[in-house]
Amino acid sequence: MTLRLERTAFRAVGTTCAAAVTAGQGDLRLARRALAAAQAEVAACEAVLSRFDPATDLCRLNGAGGEWTQVDGRLLEALRLAVRARDETRGRFDPTVLPALVAAGYDRSFERLAERPARHAAGWRAGAAIELDEEAGLARLDPGAAVDLGGIGKGYAATRALDAMRDAWPMLGGGLVDLGGDLALWGETPERGPWRVAVADPRRAGARAGVLLLRSGGVATSGRDVRRFGPRGSLHHLIDPATGEPATPGPLAVTVVAPGAAEAEAHATALAISDADDAAAHVAAQARISALYLPHEGEPVPLGRPPLAATRVLVRAA
Amino acid sequence: MQRVWTVVLSVWAMLAIVAVLAWTNRPVPPPQQAAPQTLVVRGPNGKQQLVAVQPGALGATHATTSTSGVVR
Repeated sequence: MTLRLERTAFRAVGTTCAAAVTAGQGDLRLARRALAAAQAEVAACEAVLSRFDPATDLCRLNGAGGEWTQVDGRLLEALRLAVRARDETRGRFDPTVLPALVAAGYDRSFERLAERPARHAAGWRAGAAIELDEEAGLARLDPGAAVDLGGIGKGYAATRALDAMRDAWPMLGGGLVDLGGDLALWGETPERGPWRVAVADPRRAGARAGVLLLRSGGVATSGRDVRRFGPRGSLHHLIDPATGEPATPGPLAVTVVAPGAAEAEAHATALAISDADDAAAHVAAQARISALYLPHEGEPVPLGRPPLAATRVLVRAA
Repeated sequence: MQRVWTVVLSVWAMLAIVAVLAWTNRPVPPPQQAAPQTLVVRGPNGKQQLVAVQPGALGATHATTSTSGVVR
């Protein structure tokens, strides 16, 4: 049977998005249903997780003044993943950096950011408590704390969208969701092989730093090559929880592969504010992730176990 | 005697032509292969692996990961 890739492209979560499924000639209706389910799930996640719409559950939680708040299950799950990532990264990823991020000038959706100097968030400290009661559907933050899921939300939404496609089409042979470069994927391509994901090299337009072959999992890239703001683009959106200010050390960009896209995005955010030695130590301590660290100058540095092998044999992904 | 000199000059002329042809048709050294730079992740045993392959060996890709840009 001849297979082909059915795709859809759309705009959501402040960026360009796409979904694709492997489909046979007679599967067009199912493929379209799966793609529509993915797009709907991304929209549903944005309606809950965005901090730029005061009607979202996240904004209600941030404004609850430390009270328990009834929230959607998506927000509960995203918060649970964020807390776990904060533990795994020893605070290098911290979803409670929002006050520092706002103080730095990133106080509205990126399209509407004005030129403004950075300020320091007075009294802000990292590691604010996030309490969850998943049975009751409740969440609570430390009084005065606020959460930004920008470092994990797209990955979470991508995984949810992929799951939605598989729910809509249980016999789905393979699919991919791409939310602005944060990816969740599963199964086979129309060529019955792994998904091929290029890692962009921001230092050269159109160049690749590498290509990933994957049959499942998540991929995310974080860096300071885009989303700059402030006077003459002097600031970037990566806040170092240790200082509460835009991070100084770190690569131009870093790509992480993990079992889930949310996990990949959170670890990419942590590695994006780490120097090369810290990044290598972090990846070595994490059995579940691999990374490609792209310094401002020089060759990309693959991080993960085992070390980059000198073989040219393509390993079939699990 | 003149015939002898003619033969000698012809031989030298032929050798010169052969030398010029040999010089201009030197074998081109194979292009230096670019450093492996492609990653392959998650091996058959379920563990993640990083394996290098030659650039360009994979052809077209299905998606690109990058720091997410902003839709204008």
